[in-house]
Amino acid sequence: MRQDMKKYILKKLIELIFTLFFVTLLSFLLMRLSSVDPATAYAKRMIGSPTTEQIEAIRIQLGFDKPLLVQYGRWVIDLLQFDLGTSLANGHKVWTDIATAFPKTLGIVFLASVFQIVSIIVLSCTAFLSPFKISKNTFQIICLLGVSIPSFYLATVYLDYFAVKKSLISVTGNTSFLSYISPALCIGVFGASFYTPMLMDALEHESKEDYAFYARCRGLSEPRLLFFHFLPRAAVGLIPNFLQSIGLSLANATVIEQIFSIPGFGYLIVNHVLDRDTPMIHAEVFFLALAIALCNITADLIQWVIQRKKEAV
Amino acid sequence: MKKKSMSLDFSVIIPVLVIGLFLIGFLFAPNNPMESNLMTRFQKPSSMYPFGTDQLGRCIFSRILYGGFTTLGIVLGGSMIVFSIGTIIGMATSRAVMKENSFIDGLINAVTAIPPIAYLIVFIGAWGSGAKTTLFALTVSYILRYIKLVRTRTDMEMGKAYVMCAISSGASKLRILTIHILPNLNAQLIRFLCLSCADMILAITAFSFIGLGLGDNVVDWGSMILDARGGLVLHPIMILYPIGAVILSTLCFNILARRLT
Repeated sequence: MRQDMKKYILKKLIELIFTLFFVTLLSFLLMRLSSVDPATAYAKRMIGSPTTEQIEAIRIQLGFDKPLLVQYGRWVIDLLQFDLGTSLANGHKVWTDIATAFPKTLGIVFLASVFQIVSIIVLSCTAFLSPFKISKNTFQIICLLGVSIPSFYLATVYLDYFAVKKSLISVTGNTSFLSYISPALCIGVFGASFYTPMLMDALEHESKEDYAFYARCRGLSEPRLLFFHFLPRAAVGLIPNFLQSIGLSLANATVIEQIFSIPGFGYLIVNHVLDRDTPMIHAEVFFLALAIALCNITADLIQWVIQRKKEAV
Repeated sequence: MKKKSMSLDFSVIIPVLVIGLFLIGFLFAPNNPMESNLMTRFQKPSSMYPFGTDQLGRCIFSRILYGGFTTLGIVLGGSMIVFSIGTIIGMATSRAVMKENSFIDGLINAVTAIPPIAYLIVFIGAWGSGAKTTLFALTVSYILRYIKLVRTRTDMEMGKAYVMCAISSGASKLRILTIHILPNLNAQLIRFLCLSCADMILAITAFSFIGLGLGDNVVDWGSMILDARGGLVLHPIMILYPIGAVILSTLCFNILARRLT
């Protein structure tokens, strides 16, 4: 078992390196194929109306004249030494900018996941325990609506109501942990309404198993059955799937942050995309891919362990 | 028999109709969506402007219809490409055709580890925003996932008894894949495409809403929501039209996907 696990983790790590390699190379390749030349963009921002010689000088200074693979190789070597270069737009070290922005996004995603887990469990348990079929159908329809409403719209409505009409939250200078709650709620709605029907189905399935029949014969109450027997079993199956969705929340958070004007990862991305700030964009792509891929690997690993346990039984 | 009852079902007909109307509705638009007229700003709904006019005096109804063509055109065009190319590549690289190849397995696992919306960010990061970039990025990222699905499903079907029968009666590989396996995959593939369409609509509008849109002279729902948000306090109704369109079309795709499970 130990040996197998090590082998599996090794395989997954190789896949992780593959993923990162592919995504960063893609980002370099696309940048090269782009219609806007980063050297020209930089020169225009610095000088105003640069001459051709000035653009060429900047191109050589920034290393954009080298072949693509040489540029990429250099970037990888620098990355291995934890050097991501300096931003072309504001002259900051890329590393410090990312180190301040990324934890904010991670905080939001973490809160969103907590909110999702709580609401998924509460909603599906309520639906399970309620004796009427109509309430289950209502939950299903609400969830279908929840998946269809764009989270950025929820965010704007939320903001317009609580910040503009009620003045309960502030819109500017959002850096405290408390201010993460609002974006986390807006991101969480999608995941919550996506996974609630899945957990409801899983609970339904568990309650028809043989052991459930036996337990009912023993005279155990429905809530006891639900919380001690059905829920743990049903939830275990959903955990890998849920972990994968954290990666998705991370990508969604980039949009929502923009609306709540939180200077997180999404703010960095949008600003630097508009500035065509190459070192920054490459680093952002790298970290986004790394975070998502790590979530996926954890999910795969948990799934693998569960599978193993099942086979052993 | 089963097929017939399926096609008469309202939960299939209505979503398909709604999507179809959004897609070709621009042909029947009453006004030019780009034509601004400062004399007719913020008008109430009338027979000339069914949904009223926006801050530049443009007809909201026509803009919704043209926006539908832009958004759904990208989404459906993307899924058509994904369906046609992805099915071929997926089947061609499945175990039925090639021997077990851990390199391709690893490669596909590696490139699908990132969700499509993250690919969209990468593409927009490198190319800037625009309708072509969005279409290309969405197609590429969904095609990778789709290929993975086709591969695993084809491999699963290959082990089933009816395929064995077909092989033993001398059917060629091409015949098995196209005539025997593909019809059995259809429901799952279309379900995947419907769910991706719903995701794509949300992604496109979200990015266009935060300003990484489809370009300046393209009408689309995301930028309409952004425009309407500026005048939200005075004209709160205006934002509901594009939002309603987004929710309705996403809901239709989700219902279709739900029908196929």
